[in-house]
Amino acid sequence: MLEVHRVDVHYGDIQALWNVSFRVEDGEIVSLIGSNGAGKTTVLKTISGILGLTQGSVMIDGVRSDTIKAYQIVERGVSLVPEGRRLFRDMTVLENLELGGYIGKARPRKDENLKWVFQMFPILDKRVHQLAGTLSGGEQQMLAIARGLMSEPKLLLVDELSLGLAPLIVKHIYMTLKEINRPKNTTILIVEQNVRLALEISDRGYIIENGRITGEGKGSELLRSDKVKSAYLAMG
Amino acid sequence: MLRFIQILSYGLLNGALYSLVALGLSLVFGVMNYLMVAHGGLIMLAAYTTFWAFFYTHMDPFLFILVVTPLFFIIGWILFKVLFQSLMKFPEGEKIKNSLLISFGLLLIFSNLAILFWTADERAVTTIYSGKVLDVFGVRLPYIGLGGVAIAIIVISALHLFLTRTYFGKAIRAVSLDHEAATLMGINVSKVCLVAFSIGFALAGIPGVITSLHAFNPAISFELTNKALIVLILAGVGSIKGVLIGGFFLGAIEAAGVYLVGTPYREVFGLILFVLILMFRPQGLAGKRA
Repeated sequence: MLEVHRVDVHYGDIQALWNVSFRVEDGEIVSLIGSNGAGKTTVLKTISGILGLTQGSVMIDGVRSDTIKAYQIVERGVSLVPEGRRLFRDMTVLENLELGGYIGKARPRKDENLKWVFQMFPILDKRVHQLAGTLSGGEQQMLAIARGLMSEPKLLLVDELSLGLAPLIVKHIYMTLKEINRPKNTTILIVEQNVRLALEISDRGYIIENGRITGEGKGSELLRSDKVKSAYLAMG
Repeated sequence: MLRFIQILSYGLLNGALYSLVALGLSLVFGVMNYLMVAHGGLIMLAAYTTFWAFFYTHMDPFLFILVVTPLFFIIGWILFKVLFQSLMKFPEGEKIKNSLLISFGLLLIFSNLAILFWTADERAVTTIYSGKVLDVFGVRLPYIGLGGVAIAIIVISALHLFLTRTYFGKAIRAVSLDHEAATLMGINVSKVCLVAFSIGFALAGIPGVITSLHAFNPAISFELTNKALIVLILAGVGSIKGVLIGGFFLGAIEAAGVYLVGTPYREVFGLILFVLILMFRPQGLAGKRA
């Protein structure tokens, strides 16, 4: 599905990613964990084409995607739910969702897709005509995910969805992500500081430190590993 | 009292024109943070184009809207590619400053070209209904002014519907709110900016045709830009409905100035309003936030 191969990324003169390689298979949930500033968001921005890479390649379904424009990557079936949600605050919930399904192939199935996301996040159905900026934090995060799903992505990238939200809401949203993963076989790549939660729902995980991948394994294995326990879970 | 109503109705008829004058500027500024002060120059050029076309064909000037609007759309398209596309990578503040410099240069070029081609003499398109008025209980309403009001309402409503009902219109609004998030939706932001900019130019054609029906000269471009900026501040950035209200409001305030002090002070009242709004309500009359 997704193959990131020996990628370097620079912000001006400053190098943010060093030789980053990892892969995500069809239908998996994979999490990328690491502390603040480790380069997690940079990885997602690179996959979605917003940041250019200086070295290496990104392949989606075996086709290189780092050579095309960011807006075209959405048409390849990749959708990013960005950090901080980045909703169109002065537009209604419905308009945000419609923009999520802006690309040509998603437009004819707008009604079906709306039904689908409302089924997952019923609260959005009640708020359809409200401005996105007036929603609560949890509702905004749900809207951001729903908006990301409206383009019917094969690969959903989710950046720090727990940021600023109550633990219960975060848990609820993660459970919903699992529900999204199964029936439509949507592959999900999660970036998260809340390591325990992310690894609990993930099939596999990668650890990123200072812009380098330093570990990988099954979600449950990583949770038990000493490295993760001491560095991220404050145990031992 | 009748005199006041008469002056006020002239003010409101002028106000409709002001809304149209500000519309393109407001759209371009809202979507890409380009302060296109050359907008008044475009309207002036559109007025001369209409004058020219009328001189050779003697067809109804309002019909020329159908010609001038697409023509200016194309000019906008070309100028964006040549002059303004390269500004897109700048941060917001730099976009305002650089576009201001470029478009001020354009404004000077436009008005000097107009002097070169048509001299600085006053011109006006004179039709059979020029100067004809509709008498409503003693208040005289010129047909041209009423036509302007109708066109302003139609054009602004049409633009509003376009921006709220079509995918492309929504994409324009999304781009105006957040370029990066719009990209993540699969929206081609540079194409949206190109089209929005060209629509802004096309929208200069409509007030241009109406301007040609009154006396005008090349220097009017500065005055028109001035009005557009006042209406933009009144309306609040990015508010299309606000532009309609702002235009009428400016017209009414000018009318009050004319009634209370005298015709020479008409411009002064608009500028005082400009300063007051910036001091006390910088988000504009209709705007929600700065």
